[in-house]
Amino acid sequence: MKKLRLGVLFSYIILFIFAIITVFPFIYMLLGGLMSFQETTSIPPTLIPHHFEWSNYAKVFARAPFARYFFNTVLTASITTIVSLFNSLLGAFAMVNLHFKGKGIVQMVLLSLLMVPGEAIIFTNYNTIAHMGLLNTYIGLVLPFLTSIFYMYYLQSYFGSISETIYKAAMIDGASDWEYIWKILVPMSKGGLFTVGLLSFISGWNSFLWPLLVTNEDTMRLLNNGLSTFASDAGSETQLQLAAATLTVLPILILYFIFRKQIIQGVVRNDLKG
Amino acid sequence: MKTNQKKAWLFLAPTIIFVTLFSIYPILRAFGMSLQKGSLIDLTWAGFSNYQYIFHDPEFWLAIKNTILYAVISVPVGLAISIMLAWIIFSKVKHKTFFETTFFMPYVTSTIAIGIVFRYIFNGDYGMLNFILRCLHLPAPDWIDDPAMSLITIIIFGIWSGLAFNIVILMGALRNIDPNFYTIADMYGASGKDKFWRITMPELVPTIAFLLTMNIIGAFKIYTSVYALFNGQAGVGNSGTTAVFYIYNKFQIVGTPGVAMAATVVLFLIILFATFLQRKMMKKIGEN
Amino acid sequence: MDDNKFVEVKNLRKVYDNGHEAIKDVSFSVKKGDLVCLLGPSGCGKTTILNILAGLLSPTAGDILFGGKSVVKIAPKDRHIGYVFQNYALYPHMTVLQNVMFPLVVGKQKKSKTEAEQIARKYMELTQITDLAEEKPGNLSGGQQQRVAIARALVQEPQILLMDEPLSNLDARLRLKIREEIRSLVKSVGITTLFVTHDQEEALSIGDKIILFNDGVIQQDDLGQNFYLEPNNYFVANFVGNPVIDNFKVTKTADELQGSDFTIKLAELEQSRFKRNLPDGEYTLSVRPENIVPQEDGVLTTQIDDVELIGRERILKFTHDDVQARSLVNLESTLRRGDQIKLALRLDRIFLFTLEGERVY
Repeated sequence: MKKLRLGVLFSYIILFIFAIITVFPFIYMLLGGLMSFQETTSIPPTLIPHHFEWSNYAKVFARAPFARYFFNTVLTASITTIVSLFNSLLGAFAMVNLHFKGKGIVQMVLLSLLMVPGEAIIFTNYNTIAHMGLLNTYIGLVLPFLTSIFYMYYLQSYFGSISETIYKAAMIDGASDWEYIWKILVPMSKGGLFTVGLLSFISGWNSFLWPLLVTNEDTMRLLNNGLSTFASDAGSETQLQLAAATLTVLPILILYFIFRKQIIQGVVRNDLKG
Repeated sequence: MKTNQKKAWLFLAPTIIFVTLFSIYPILRAFGMSLQKGSLIDLTWAGFSNYQYIFHDPEFWLAIKNTILYAVISVPVGLAISIMLAWIIFSKVKHKTFFETTFFMPYVTSTIAIGIVFRYIFNGDYGMLNFILRCLHLPAPDWIDDPAMSLITIIIFGIWSGLAFNIVILMGALRNIDPNFYTIADMYGASGKDKFWRITMPELVPTIAFLLTMNIIGAFKIYTSVYALFNGQAGVGNSGTTAVFYIYNKFQIVGTPGVAMAATVVLFLIILFATFLQRKMMKKIGEN
Repeated sequence: MDDNKFVEVKNLRKVYDNGHEAIKDVSFSVKKGDLVCLLGPSGCGKTTILNILAGLLSPTAGDILFGGKSVVKIAPKDRHIGYVFQNYALYPHMTVLQNVMFPLVVGKQKKSKTEAEQIARKYMELTQITDLAEEKPGNLSGGQQQRVAIARALVQEPQILLMDEPLSNLDARLRLKIREEIRSLVKSVGITTLFVTHDQEEALSIGDKIILFNDGVIQQDDLGQNFYLEPNNYFVANFVGNPVIDNFKVTKTADELQGSDFTIKLAELEQSRFKRNLPDGEYTLSVRPENIVPQEDGVLTTQIDDVELIGRERILKFTHDDVQARSLVNLESTLRRGDQIKLALRLDRIFLFTLEGERVY
């Protein structure tokens, strides 16, 4: 009996250590962003700032156009999310509910493309966008991401779980495909669409390599690129770097805490089937 | 209803157009460009000279070595820790969702931002990590500025960021195991250890296989976390360079897209091979 | 237009993509206003036929005529049909009223909302679901969902109503009640109805006529009682009837039918019931359990394996030639397990089948 308790205790200790390791960087980021320069470089390290330096944030906004970065990021992440959701929705509908020659081939091609790492094609895509003269434009930032095989595949499995008699019933009731999609499929899959939307928005928010390639003007930068440039420019001013990092992470973290259930369920759901 | 509903192509049109333009074409183009030399606006046929070049380039071999080392260390270690944590949360803890939510945080946060925090924590002089190590009278290396430490730092950061996805997926799989299995095992007086190795692990095999694939593919693509840790560099003196770093450098900085694409093709083949190998292995394990 | 052939199916054939031939050359017709049951074991093709009639599947060959006009090339929505699905297929995110209104507010001939609601409410009254108007389908019982599905099917005032196992998701008692309601409802509306079921009792009780399928082929297209009294073949005799029919192997000689331990003189059979001249050889003699009864001078001697009580009758179970067989007797019977008995056959009620299943007597 005693041995068993020890085991449980041991498990708890491991769990707590790792929980702290996971959470600590976030807390330290929040606190560090409110420290003075001396506090961030003191030995031993400061954990709780003596006085909350809110002015760090003012300095960040003064030194780099973070408001513009926010605007750019929200805009591109929203456009990518809405358009790719729309395209995936139509595509997934066709793949699930319609019968046509070549469906098997389409499915096979899409599934094998799912295996291709984005980094392998991102540079040639840069080439394409450059040829189109779309460097440093919003269109260039979003264009390659306006469709997502991954989300389409996710929605396919979601729609596939709806009984096919629902579609048949709608056909007999006289609904067109378009009416079926908007009056039945979308309202019935609100949860799935919402989750896909959230995940897409988050990955749009956190995108880094692509915007790094296709933008070099400060006014077109997205948050993460702005942040990394700022971190270089701010040099040793760690407290400002941490404040800027907080600005980047906090909105998504808040979104995550509000919708944690949908997000986690969404991730688990699509990947178990993959 | 017709057996061949042509309208399906209408619904698929946006997807097919974008996929062709930004997924299929770039793959073919990458193969093509790997056989060309010159700058982006002036490409000429080069045969296999780009491949010859990278195979004789020590920097390329360092990048591949780093990438493979990163993959073979961070993936198994990360997965083992994830399995341990998921099992503890699943079997021993009441507030499962609380821990799940906590451990998943790194998944949704920007690598760049959190990399800045790690750079700070890893700082050799005033970083929190070395402070703790010194308190415990352990060696406190210079994580960021010592070239010998670059890869280790990257691996630690990689494991930290990778736990989130693994734990959540594993929790999902653990919840899917029929609880009756455990009830029956209890009836026969199985110990906790027995239950873990005889029921849980075999049931988790498909999930672990899936995670291995995802993790390995992810590991081979490592770029952003290195960029964030070393402030845009690949560690001191390029000591932490990776395959994608190499590609980016050759493509954007040096301006030899042909070389970059040759490296891309090689990376792509390595990923394919690793996935293939890993699938075979898991299949063997699944059969036993 | 011929009202006797309001629905006409001609040489219908359906081969699925995987090569499975679900329907093999099926032809039948349905009289206007009739309620016809398509009966058969699962996988026999009956639901496939219903789907083809609705236009949800296209046939490989053959023609379908509604009111004399071919509908094969017409889309489901323009066929003037209503369809009740096995799982009801109600839209879970809409209220009952919205579900019933749905067919009226989509498509080309959209009606105004007020008009649609008026019509919907009329049919909801008919199916007695007015009180449930604002409920979501998820909150309804199986029987209530069933009524909503029927109201939604009828609201377009279709000429033909197709029902696919509409009662299979209900519990036994409710099934009896709802099937009577369905019959009186479709009769009062006067709509031609095709009703798919695997339950022979349901088919017998509800259908004006029954079409029995097996393996994609019509086995018998007839009035209910004829399946029982005059089965077309061995399959029909064995599919219809509860308890199931008893089968005995017999060998025909010049003047006798010889079972393993009984003989029947051919002269005792009714000559008019022979369908054709029989060559000597092996046949199957089938007899319904109520036509094989204990009797002092019975031809068949056996021992009772078990006695089962089914309401007002008892089934005596016995084994003959290693095959289980049954005899149906009155509740009052005092025969018990282990008793030796003699059984007599009512020779004017027996059937003879060739080994291929063709009925010859």
